Amino acid sequence: MSAEAADRSGLLPGSFAPDARLAALGSLAVLTAAYGSVLYHVTDVVGGSRLMLATLVGTATLAVATGRVLRVRTALLLAVLSLAGGFAVYFLSVPASQRALISPERLLSDTVALLTGLSVLRLTQANVWALSVAPTPVFLSWYLAVRRRYVPSVIVGGTVLAVLVLTGDAGLLTTLAGVVGAAAVVGFGTLDRHGGTATQVDTLVILLAVMVVAAATLSVVPATRTAPVLPDRGSPSGVTSLVDARDRVEVVGTIRLSPQVQFTVESQAESYWTTATYDRYTGTGWVRSGDTSPYEEPLSGPPGEGPAVQQTVTAETELGAMPAAWRPTTVTDIPASRVRVTPQGTLRPATTLDPGERYTVTSRLNRPSPDTLQAAGTDYPDAVVERYTQLPASTPDRVRERAATVADDAGAETPYETAVAFESYLESTKRYSLTVERPEGSVADAFLFEMDAGYCTYYATTMVTMLRAEGVPARFATGYTAGERVGADEWVVRGLDSHAWVQVYVPDEGWVRFDPTPAAPRQSAEQARLSDARRSDAGGVDTAETLNATPVPTPADDDSVVDATPTPAPAGGGNMPGNRAAPDAVADPVAASDAGGGPTLPSRETLALWGVVLVGVGAAVRRTGAGARAVRAVWLRRRGPRRDPDTDAVRAFERLAYLLEQQERPRRPGETPRAYVECVTSDDRARLVLRAYERARYGDGVDRETADAATDAVGELVRERTLPTRPFAR
Amino acid sequence: MTDAGIPDSEHAEQVPPLSVSAATTLTDRIVDNVEEVIVGQHDAIEHILVATLARGHLLLEDVPGVGKTVLGRAVATSVDCSFKRVQFTPDLLPSDVTGVNVFNQKTREFEFRPGPVFANVVLGDEINRAPPKTQAALLEAMAEGQVTVDGETRRLPDPFTVIATQNDVEPGRTYDLPMAEVDRFMKKLRLGYPDEDAETRLLERVAGAHPIESLDPVATLDDLRGARQTVANVTLSEPVRRYVSRLAAYTREEAALGVSPRGAIALTRAAQARAVLNGREYVVPDDIQTEAPSVWSHRIDTDRPGRDVVDAALTTVTVE
Repeated sequence: MSAEAADRSGLLPGSFAPDARLAALGSLAVLTAAYGSVLYHVTDVVGGSRLMLATLVGTATLAVATGRVLRVRTALLLAVLSLAGGFAVYFLSVPASQRALISPERLLSDTVALLTGLSVLRLTQANVWALSVAPTPVFLSWYLAVRRRYVPSVIVGGTVLAVLVLTGDAGLLTTLAGVVGAAAVVGFGTLDRHGGTATQVDTLVILLAVMVVAAATLSVVPATRTAPVLPDRGSPSGVTSLVDARDRVEVVGTIRLSPQVQFTVESQAESYWTTATYDRYTGTGWVRSGDTSPYEEPLSGPPGEGPAVQQTVTAETELGAMPAAWRPTTVTDIPASRVRVTPQGTLRPATTLDPGERYTVTSRLNRPSPDTLQAAGTDYPDAVVERYTQLPASTPDRVRERAATVADDAGAETPYETAVAFESYLESTKRYSLTVERPEGSVADAFLFEMDAGYCTYYATTMVTMLRAEGVPARFATGYTAGERVGADEWVVRGLDSHAWVQVYVPDEGWVRFDPTPAAPRQSAEQARLSDARRSDAGGVDTAETLNATPVPTPADDDSVVDATPTPAPAGGGNMPGNRAAPDAVADPVAASDAGGGPTLPSRETLALWGVVLVGVGAAVRRTGAGARAVRAVWLRRRGPRRDPDTDAVRAFERLAYLLEQQERPRRPGETPRAYVECVTSDDRARLVLRAYERARYGDGVDRETADAATDAVGELVRERTLPTRPFAR
Repeated sequence: MTDAGIPDSEHAEQVPPLSVSAATTLTDRIVDNVEEVIVGQHDAIEHILVATLARGHLLLEDVPGVGKTVLGRAVATSVDCSFKRVQFTPDLLPSDVTGVNVFNQKTREFEFRPGPVFANVVLGDEINRAPPKTQAALLEAMAEGQVTVDGETRRLPDPFTVIATQNDVEPGRTYDLPMAEVDRFMKKLRLGYPDEDAETRLLERVAGAHPIESLDPVATLDDLRGARQTVANVTLSEPVRRYVSRLAAYTREEAALGVSPRGAIALTRAAQARAVLNGREYVVPDDIQTEAPSVWSHRIDTDRPGRDVVDAALTTVTVE
């Protein structure tokens, strides 16, 4: 490549071409890194990240190495074959049971789902998918770039990026980096192919900087999934709530709880109302893998002998979830076609429930006694171990070490003891607070080692991580606590009752609930919020029952039992449809206005953004010559140190010429100093300077006196002609 | 106007140089004096003076009757030096220009009878009508400052300036000067017709007796020689010399035959004289630009007028 660059630099005027080529290839590296990082993240979460890295680097190297040798047709054929092979591998890796489901309609609907926001992470074999897809575009785009086909190269890379953007896996920064990289490849590639000037490069750099800055500071496009890089403090940002969670939950920073009533429950027993469970931990959030299936009763209940509980849930607002006690077995009073069942066993409505709509669920609770749990053993099915002990490869080792330490300190020997140990450890070492700064990177790691406060999402995420680190299958569950009890068997559930907890797999018992969040502070926070809302007369906070029948809001009862006991209060399995709560549902967390609190260092994004701004401004300054002009403006006004008379006289004239060039017109190449000065000015002082210059440069030199006179005259002219009022005086 | 024999050239070099201001005053005086007679040819008068001071010769290319002879005579008269005019014809012999040895019956010796070339200012009219051999005789005199007759070399008077004219009206009956010989002339000028105002004034002046008859000298030969010394001492700085080299290089790139080093030397000499005319003891780029068209145009051989090439060089080459 370098030899070729040298060849071209010989052909083109100036040594410009190699730079543009390098810049184009560098930009392609940025684009590749953008979608590569998304694919890498997938494998990081699901496993196989090293193989992915090797694949990416290996294919790129292969493409560069063979780029000059391979013919285009051969390369395209290879790419198609490799893509087909990749999909074949993916197909074979899918479990046979699911493979049977694959049909053309299914493939089509899956593709549509992927392209409309279904995360790649929800694919059952996401890592295999990523590994089989990655090589083709990397190879093709680098191969084409090496052959100077920059636009096709960008089309290939950009398509992959676009798909990942559509699936919602590429975040804002990744997308931005990828798009800017793509634009830069085309720009520099064009300059490389057709030659270009330094000015064009400057213009391109300015353009790219504007792209970055505009994209990062303006969020004009509505409904972007990710917040702008620079948070607009004080206004609600579109953070995802716990129960607004559809197929994934991102852990966010500060939230405010909604006091709106979401639904009411008539139930024979008090319980947590589960809406969703999540199996795949990404380090920053949770993803539910697999597809929902139609409801076909009865659903399999928990393995144990738990009591059946019938609940009737009435939606009080638009509800995108079907809350129910764990674990739902039958649903009635609603057409079966409106109910979907997730692979994890929770329910979700096919379409949003309208206010007033109701359904009846029968759940079989699983609340094994501590003795049962203690004796349960570790005879986990392989599938459960594989899926529910998976942690991102990027999880820091200190998390595993801390988990081991905590378990050892508590003398835990069974999974049950381990879970209890973690639960009490988190309850005792962390403070409950809704006002937190969202950590960078792994949430569990940050909560364990850097944060001293958090809310249920942090507690639950951390506990699942610790359990998985210890080899105990566990998952993340969301839903609602019981809510406000307004009658013997009736509860009113508000947004502020939304909650997240942990489900631990117990052989022969199924998924058992553990709640590491300290109950008392949580309830007081919820109560305070409710009182606030009532004081401010917010609508939708109360129902007829709560207004009439609640002199005492009877708060703590059931939850405190569950939470405050260090025992795992394995409460009734809620069965919950878990997808898509109404937008304003449950705990919609609204960023608190006082989130920052005190002077903080700018975030890395902010600094990076300012870096981009500086690069852009630098290019603009060079492009317009503003920098050189500023230096010259200072130089013009400075008398400068005295040297020998000739030098001084020459310098005096240079200042004069610069002044005149700024204010009159530039001197033409063939124009003599004398002709120029006499053409643009009739000032005697200018002539004096000119004569001193001519004598110094062309004659026998000037004496000190003449040089000083010339310097003084120029100083006078500069002062006179650069007065701020001059433009108006003319 | 003196027509007296052979002027003594031996003591020419002993004249001390004039100061620049004195030389400038002298040239101003001469120009004013000549302008008494010649109307509307200020630039031409200055060019002639520059050529004289720079020890060069002039080639005037013009139609008849625009005042070439009067101009030469007026300059000669003003500095009180000898003026001769030679009308070149196809049958003119070299000896008609240089002079011949004649046997004197009384002294029984050959004695030299000098030709018209032995004068301070020689006007060679329609030089392209004479055959090449006769032209060469004059050109040798111009180049060497001496003539050789019958093996005997005789020095020409100092100063010695030739003003040759070419008639371009009847091209069929002429022997055009080859480039190599044109190169020997420092300058080539075209007087051109006077404009309306100038011609009106001219007609008024010549209404009675021609003013050339009453023109008085305003300088002596020694003044002129001193001024020539002054010109030789004018500073030619490195930036100016480099500028001239670059201009010359430009013409060599742009034209089939560009300016020779002899042309470059001629330009610097002319610029030195021009600097004295303008009262400076050093050459500035402006002097070069003033002199370049008349000194270089006739030395450039290409498909377009040499003047265009010179103008292009002047606008393109950067002055430093």
